[in-house]
Amino acid sequence: MSQILIQGLLLSGLYALIAIGFTLIFSVGRVLNLAYGAYLMLGGYAYFWVVQTMHMPKLLGILVAIGVGVLAGLLKHRLIVKPLKSDPVAVEIATLILAVVIQAGVVLVFNDSAKIMHPIVNGVWRVGGATVTYNILTATIASWVILIGLYYFVRKTHVGRAISAVSMDVKGAAISGINPDRINMITWGLSGALGAIAGVFFASYTQLSPSMWVAPLIIAVAVVIVGGIGSIIGTLIVAHIIGFMEIISTTLVAAELRGVFTMLLIIVVLVMMPKGLFGRGEL
Amino acid sequence: MSTQITWKHLALWALFLGGMALLPMLVGKGTLRTIIFANYLAIFAMSWDVLSGRTGYISFGHPFLIGIGAYTTAILSYRFDVPVGISIPVAVIVTMAAGTLFFLPALRIKGTYFALVTLAFMELMYQLVQVIRPDLTGGTRGISGVQTLTRGAVNGYYLSLALMGVIAISLWAMMKTRLGTALSAIGMNEEAVEGSGLNTTKLKLFAFMVGAGVAGIGGAFYVHYLGSIAPRALFDINFLFTIIVAALIGGASTIIGPMAGAFFLTFLLEYLRPFLPGAERYFIYGSIALILYMYEPKGLYEILRKARERLTGANA
Repeated sequence: MSQILIQGLLLSGLYALIAIGFTLIFSVGRVLNLAYGAYLMLGGYAYFWVVQTMHMPKLLGILVAIGVGVLAGLLKHRLIVKPLKSDPVAVEIATLILAVVIQAGVVLVFNDSAKIMHPIVNGVWRVGGATVTYNILTATIASWVILIGLYYFVRKTHVGRAISAVSMDVKGAAISGINPDRINMITWGLSGALGAIAGVFFASYTQLSPSMWVAPLIIAVAVVIVGGIGSIIGTLIVAHIIGFMEIISTTLVAAELRGVFTMLLIIVVLVMMPKGLFGRGEL
Repeated sequence: MSTQITWKHLALWALFLGGMALLPMLVGKGTLRTIIFANYLAIFAMSWDVLSGRTGYISFGHPFLIGIGAYTTAILSYRFDVPVGISIPVAVIVTMAAGTLFFLPALRIKGTYFALVTLAFMELMYQLVQVIRPDLTGGTRGISGVQTLTRGAVNGYYLSLALMGVIAISLWAMMKTRLGTALSAIGMNEEAVEGSGLNTTKLKLFAFMVGAGVAGIGGAFYVHYLGSIAPRALFDINFLFTIIVAALIGGASTIIGPMAGAFFLTFLLEYLRPFLPGAERYFIYGSIALILYMYEPKGLYEILRKARERLTGANA
């Protein structure tokens, strides 16, 4: 029981971190960025290259990963989303193609085989019969810190409130003197950075491979769909629903079925209540 | 858009299919196998186009439908020794039933959300196939040694060509009717179609059934051509990507577009092979697809049409 609780909390923390960047773009730009999983992959590989190939410090690895993520987000906004005038379906298709291109690019540079990443933080912690690696514990704590930080950023700072305003009403925000284009750009960069950090932790939790972008993308999609158009709190709650559902189905039903329930949840929620559990909220 | 079927159209079809039928005399077996793949890809792309290109309900789960058709006939013929003459029609019917399942979400949601549900269907199927009754589906490894319908590249080629020809002409003729016009109109403005007193639910259901039926036929014959089936080859984002890109690059909402797209992509991949082995090909292929899509979302068909308008100075 305590095993389920601990594992559930840890996995959910990671999922929340994975989903938050995706939610951010969805609530501000109203587009689904299917290449979001590729940010995670780029972040993971950038960290791997800096730390394990170049033998540089881990902190530098994380910084490089964030840099790559920001760059990917900005480029994507500039080259794909803006020319398509944020037409949701066109963006969805274009980003799907882009994700496959990035996947091929990663194979090109790092070859096809999966890579094991050393844990970012070494050691294990035994608590109540469960063993918890410091690595995933760090990921969960980082996730909480980032989410709380983001929450205050959106609520308290000028830029954050502008992001929130654009997510509610683009025209209204523009009338109030906000440049929606600039806010969109900032959001895409921010989303890229969040995706890249999530990618570093996700890769250290599983492994690096050129097809690793699909699983986190589906988690992010599930969180956004089930939670409704993203609020930060909603993301956190739904990440816990999905995380616990997976842990419970893994330990009590069958490990192979862990993804099945997530898919069923997506389908049922979308068909029964297309606006998600928490309806349409603002960031 | 001319709605009349003229002799000129029929002559063009005959010319095209006749020319294709002569190909085995001109090219080697290797190229022929490539064209067989292109033919099947064209069938899948046309099927995607009926379901998504026309009505605007973008399906990301097309491999789900193709996979159901392929698995049904593979399991029936391999595990239960059902003759192919029965297992393929059954597979098509099952796929159409699955297409109706797709249809339920389309009653309530559209646009990006619809695409996501279909994507979820595909992933769900991918995971279920491996877990539920692996004694039937063959689990992760799939089934190999499925009965093949034809022997040798030439026969396989004629079978795939005949299938593609029949499907293309039937879809083309269907789209020339008022029904086809109504389906395209749904893609433009669903409310307006409903306002004209047409039952959009029935129209959409029809499009979904036809799309699923074609996907089922394609999937079933494809598995009997390959002789094997595996979950990762079918329920895969890369496979989905190839189908969608073929339809979009060629030109959605046309018959010739998805076909042209399928051939263009297959040959792009094949011609890049000698110069760039391995992953580089997919990188370039994806980049070309992305650039083309960004430049003209309506595909090669539209680019050629515009070019012809410019050259002939027709009313622009």
